[in-house]
Amino acid sequence: MLPVRKILVILVLILVGGLIYYFSSSREKIDYNTQVKPIFNKKCIACHGGVKAKSNFSLLFREDALKPAKSGKYPIVPGKPGESEMIRRITEKDEEERMPYKHDPLSKEEISILKKWIKQGAAWGEHWAYIPVQKPDLPDVADKWIRNEIDQFVYQKLEEEELKPSTEADKQTLLRRLSLDIIGMPAEEKLVKKFLDDNSDKAYENLVDDLLASQRYGEKWTSMWLDIARYADTKGFEKDGGRTIWEYRDWLIRALNDDKPYDQFLIEQLAGDLLADPTDAQYIATGFHRNTVTNDEGGTDNEEYRTAAVIDRVNTTWTGLMSTTFGCVQCHSHPYDPIRHDEYYKFMAFFNNSRDVDSEEDYPLLRHYEKNDSVEVARIKDWLNQNATGDGPKKFYTLLKTWEPTTTSFERTDKYDNCELRDTKWLMLKKGSTFRMKQMDISDKTYLMFRYLGYSSDGVLTIHLDSLNGPVWRTINVPEAKQEHKIYGVNVEPVPGVHDLYFSFFSKNLKEDFTGLLLDWFYFGQQFPGKGKPGYDTIYNNFMLLLNKPVKTTPVMFENSSDLYRETNVFERGNWLVKGDKVEADVPKLFHPIQKSGTKNRMDLALWLTDKRHPLTGRTMVNRLWEQIFGNGIVETVEDFGTQGIPPTHKELLDWMAWQFMNDYKWSLKKMVKTIVMSATYRQRSNASDELLEKDPYNKFYARAPRVRLSAEQVRDQALFISGLLSDKMYGPGIMPYQPEGIWNSPYSGEYWKQSPGEDQYRRAVYIYWKRTAGYPSIMTFDGIQRDVCVARRIRTNTPLQALVTLNDSAYIDMARNFAYRLQKEVNADVSGQIKKGYELATGHAPGENELSILLTLYKNALDKFNADEDKTCEMIGLNNEHNNPGTAALVVVCNAILNLDEVVTKV
Amino acid sequence: MTQQELNSKKIFEEAREAVLRQHTRRHFLKESAMGLGALALGSILGSCGRGSAKQVSTILYDPANPLAPRPPMFPGKAKSVIYLHMAGAPSQLELFDYKPELAKLDGQECPPSLMEGKKFAFIRGKASLLAPQAKFAQHGQSGLWISNYLPHFSTIADEVAIIKSMTTDQFNHAPAQLFMHTGSPRLGRPAIGAWVTYGLGTENQNLPGYVVLTSGGNDPDAGKSAWGSGFLPSVYQGVQCRSEGDPVLFINDPHGMDRDLRRASIDAINKINQHQHEEYKDPETLSRISQYEMAYKMQIAAPQVMNINDEPQYIHDMYGTKPGEVSFANNVLLARRLVEKGVRFVQLFDWGWDSHGTDPQTALDIGMINKCRKVDKAMTALILDLKQRGMLDETLVIWGGEFGRTPMQENRELVTAPFKGRDHHTDAFCIWMAGGGIRGGSTYGETDEIGYNVISGRTEPFDIQATILNQLGFDHEKFTYEFQGRPFRLTDVKGRVIEEILA
Repeated sequence: MLPVRKILVILVLILVGGLIYYFSSSREKIDYNTQVKPIFNKKCIACHGGVKAKSNFSLLFREDALKPAKSGKYPIVPGKPGESEMIRRITEKDEEERMPYKHDPLSKEEISILKKWIKQGAAWGEHWAYIPVQKPDLPDVADKWIRNEIDQFVYQKLEEEELKPSTEADKQTLLRRLSLDIIGMPAEEKLVKKFLDDNSDKAYENLVDDLLASQRYGEKWTSMWLDIARYADTKGFEKDGGRTIWEYRDWLIRALNDDKPYDQFLIEQLAGDLLADPTDAQYIATGFHRNTVTNDEGGTDNEEYRTAAVIDRVNTTWTGLMSTTFGCVQCHSHPYDPIRHDEYYKFMAFFNNSRDVDSEEDYPLLRHYEKNDSVEVARIKDWLNQNATGDGPKKFYTLLKTWEPTTTSFERTDKYDNCELRDTKWLMLKKGSTFRMKQMDISDKTYLMFRYLGYSSDGVLTIHLDSLNGPVWRTINVPEAKQEHKIYGVNVEPVPGVHDLYFSFFSKNLKEDFTGLLLDWFYFGQQFPGKGKPGYDTIYNNFMLLLNKPVKTTPVMFENSSDLYRETNVFERGNWLVKGDKVEADVPKLFHPIQKSGTKNRMDLALWLTDKRHPLTGRTMVNRLWEQIFGNGIVETVEDFGTQGIPPTHKELLDWMAWQFMNDYKWSLKKMVKTIVMSATYRQRSNASDELLEKDPYNKFYARAPRVRLSAEQVRDQALFISGLLSDKMYGPGIMPYQPEGIWNSPYSGEYWKQSPGEDQYRRAVYIYWKRTAGYPSIMTFDGIQRDVCVARRIRTNTPLQALVTLNDSAYIDMARNFAYRLQKEVNADVSGQIKKGYELATGHAPGENELSILLTLYKNALDKFNADEDKTCEMIGLNNEHNNPGTAALVVVCNAILNLDEVVTKV
Repeated sequence: MTQQELNSKKIFEEAREAVLRQHTRRHFLKESAMGLGALALGSILGSCGRGSAKQVSTILYDPANPLAPRPPMFPGKAKSVIYLHMAGAPSQLELFDYKPELAKLDGQECPPSLMEGKKFAFIRGKASLLAPQAKFAQHGQSGLWISNYLPHFSTIADEVAIIKSMTTDQFNHAPAQLFMHTGSPRLGRPAIGAWVTYGLGTENQNLPGYVVLTSGGNDPDAGKSAWGSGFLPSVYQGVQCRSEGDPVLFINDPHGMDRDLRRASIDAINKINQHQHEEYKDPETLSRISQYEMAYKMQIAAPQVMNINDEPQYIHDMYGTKPGEVSFANNVLLARRLVEKGVRFVQLFDWGWDSHGTDPQTALDIGMINKCRKVDKAMTALILDLKQRGMLDETLVIWGGEFGRTPMQENRELVTAPFKGRDHHTDAFCIWMAGGGIRGGSTYGETDEIGYNVISGRTEPFDIQATILNQLGFDHEKFTYEFQGRPFRLTDVKGRVIEEILA
């Protein structure tokens, strides 16, 4: 019995010891995210991470870290720090052996954390931003200051920091703040009066509702989205020629004004073309990813720039919509966050099958048929519905609307003999030219169509099958088309299988070395349906007429049909010329999977992105709204929620808002904006005290409202509004307000800045024509971005060049003049009264005695000068102008000064 | 965690946030991060791809005065840079890379082995070799080969280092120019001048720190992106100074407003802003007050420096300048004046060097000789003038294009070109550098007998960028900027300082 008892005692001792150990160590449960990951990021990951995994040891993924390293030893053995090679190496005395190699050893505390962590099982923790949003509990705080849930979170933090919130700002301040935040400019007179006269408890909320209902709302928030979408009116490289894609900008304005739910908003932009029967608007929405730069320079490799555009779509989708720095993964696994190298290319595969190919024409384009044409289109649609079967109606309608699916002449062609790609853009044929078109499936093709310029009256294009001497598939007499491109179609006989097509061109009349044919694209499809039925000829002719008609177009997304499908490969070290393994479209494993068998496309991607389980989509957008309103995001690095971004100041608040946004508000942006501005946090005064500056210099805890310089667009729109010049005309092609001579100077470009007539030059900044390589100077000076790539947030600077814009730019002088005329016209009082009113219009409240007297002194000073010098008055106002008098000129000087005040260019 | 650990964690976090935050939030770093900024930022940021856990340093500029002069990482030889870019890419085979063998092979078909797998902008299929169109001779004590297209420049052979082994991987103008100036052929990265003013600030607060001057009738193909600030704060973008209209945009007071009135109005604005600051205590307001002061001073300084009328006649004779003209010569003289006044980086673009031979302007004889005449005297004068003023030692001058030109004659669209021209060539071209610690009278690298491929000393744009940064006192591998979660470098993961041409 004794041995048994002994064993029992020993067992009990072990158990008790284990329990004691267990409880003592569990009291100090190590948290991976806050304690372990920072050590890895700081000391280990540069050599044992996503970029490099020295000795086959990487700390990014648990599964990798637990595998034996090159030496055969196990770096981490869960539960057994003593057996973990990593612990041995970080505690090693021999410097040649000790890790981090050739760097200072880890501190005792760090080593102890790692040991305990391994002991406790070496659990990997998920970074907060990759965990789906849960509805957080509301903090248990109470104070009469609190107005809504936002305030509860903010108040809790303030208490922790021993700070008190500020009192509510006055009505005038709130009016200006709300207007700038919601509609991006001061509110119209009617709303101002309504709000100031309304003494009810609902006054504030009524104003918020009125502003949210204003058409100006969509314009303001579109400005924000255009940076994410890297929207511009030009294509980018060298001559940086124009691109007509403003319909996309207008789509945004309408979508935001209609408060299109954000999930739908994203689905249409990413995959509107893949909806069942996409409307024009849904096609236009896909302009989002057609804002990529293209290169029209002579002799470029189109595939290189097509690839660059696809990569840009990947990076934009992650940076702009998911606050993740995915660009790293282009060359290697993410250095800090658990995303693998090949996952970049799996994701890229979603975008690798759109039909665009860096063509000069920006194909694919949505063709806009207007007025009578649209009636004809409807008639054709009816015909198709009656005469075509299956997907026939859709196919022909799509062809009419998009010229797709077509193949450009530079895509699948090679073996050029006596012909070449002009500027690598169009295939140019001469007398006796031959070329090959590779691997075309013509088994069900009954119709061949092509777009071209034809310079000979007797050109003949012959197509042979499989070799130059192979059987003739079709001989085509090509009509002359010297002035305008022509689309010409012929019937063909289907031949089973995939074939190389060999083209040859001949023309008797064409001189040697002269261009006979310039080919743009080919279409292989079916004959127009209904042949032989009454009315066929007319409808078919009209179909061809419309197809040939030069109409307004907008670049859109269009997915490759199966015979044009592109494979996607990993690019080794990010180099597009070095193709690695083939991959299929998919999302990183870090996230919820796409539940679908077979090939996944952009629509699957869009649905995955807008799934409420997605940890980033909702958080990213509410953070962006917060950033727009408060000047900084709850996660200040709006573009990076990863482990290297700045952690959120109020994580629970962010999650609460994301939850509300996705669930209760059903992705309504207006409801989210309203909740934010209804909070007491938002309504505080923005005055700082020395104490507050000391305790919270960056206003991380919101014990006061932020004070933020206006955006480039707001600076301009507000000044136009104050001066009474702002036009409320909406939509349409980019406008060209005054700009000094010589800003546009691109080579090989005949395009020039032509100042818009009349009210067009006074429209909001969101409508200004945006040339990438030569942006509108005053916008660029106030931190506008070039919009070459997605930039998730603008960096605010404060420079003398900004002062020069608002002081001297003729556009701003024009505003100051009209501001002065307006005051003289509207204010039935002396100069002092006029200045008072001017100050009020610009800042939202009356000037103090001090301010007024400073401005009056300036006025008198100026008046003396103008009285003494008539010429100066005339220069300031302009000859033959009813306002040409010293008093007005002096008031212009004052108005110019008012438009430059800190309080005016700042949201207070 | 122990208290000590907590403290160190806190310092570490603060330092990291300070770096991230300075990109966003304008605040005074003096109390918070200036002191401890440098200590911790090293391995946190970790460089992308190269070396083992390289220490990278991040410049902590003071956002209230972002252009204030700052010391480099180590004492540099040069204080300022003048970069002369011949947009369009001048032919090295007509200027600096003497190839007698090519003359012998004139008209012969280029061996297909050389053409295989190569991409050209316009040459397709076969092409024949084209003899150098200029005559070469050796010059100076160093005996550098320079062609008769540059008679003036030949006299200063002993002042310059010619790199004959330049290569690039971009054969189109806009991407190649971007690569040369931003380290990436795509749009969206900061130009080298932006990096330099971000790193060093500028000596004269009354002038922009980074000035761009263009001639030749067009902006360069890369447009304003060639001097853009990319992801750096926009204050570091190049400011285009112009010979027509306002020398700097909006620098002139509006019509009818004289200087006194402008002074009075800025005083009024600043006084009211002062009140504003008393009420809201926003540091940004103070910064705005000083920016308005600077703007006022800049309004005087910029037109003054841009007016070359006050230069003596012998200087005009030396440069070949004519006041009032828009010319490369005027711009070169302006560059000297700007550097003299403490501007950090001056970048000149002269457009029109794309010698394809499609018309007389782009012919290697007629057009190129004309272009050379327009730059030869002025760029020579620049070196001599800087030298006589004792400024050459601290001014780094760089001259070059974005790629080279083929030893073959270009035939476009299967038709023999009417004039003698060459296509774009990525595998060999020349750049020269002078001053700022560069060893004069030296050459670096070699090409093969026909000037097609580099056979020794292969050099990339990254190496030029690394060398420029080195001369200014920056280790290009440590000079980074955190953007979108990644530390970016001008030289990406490459670049080597070309020690062989340093004095």
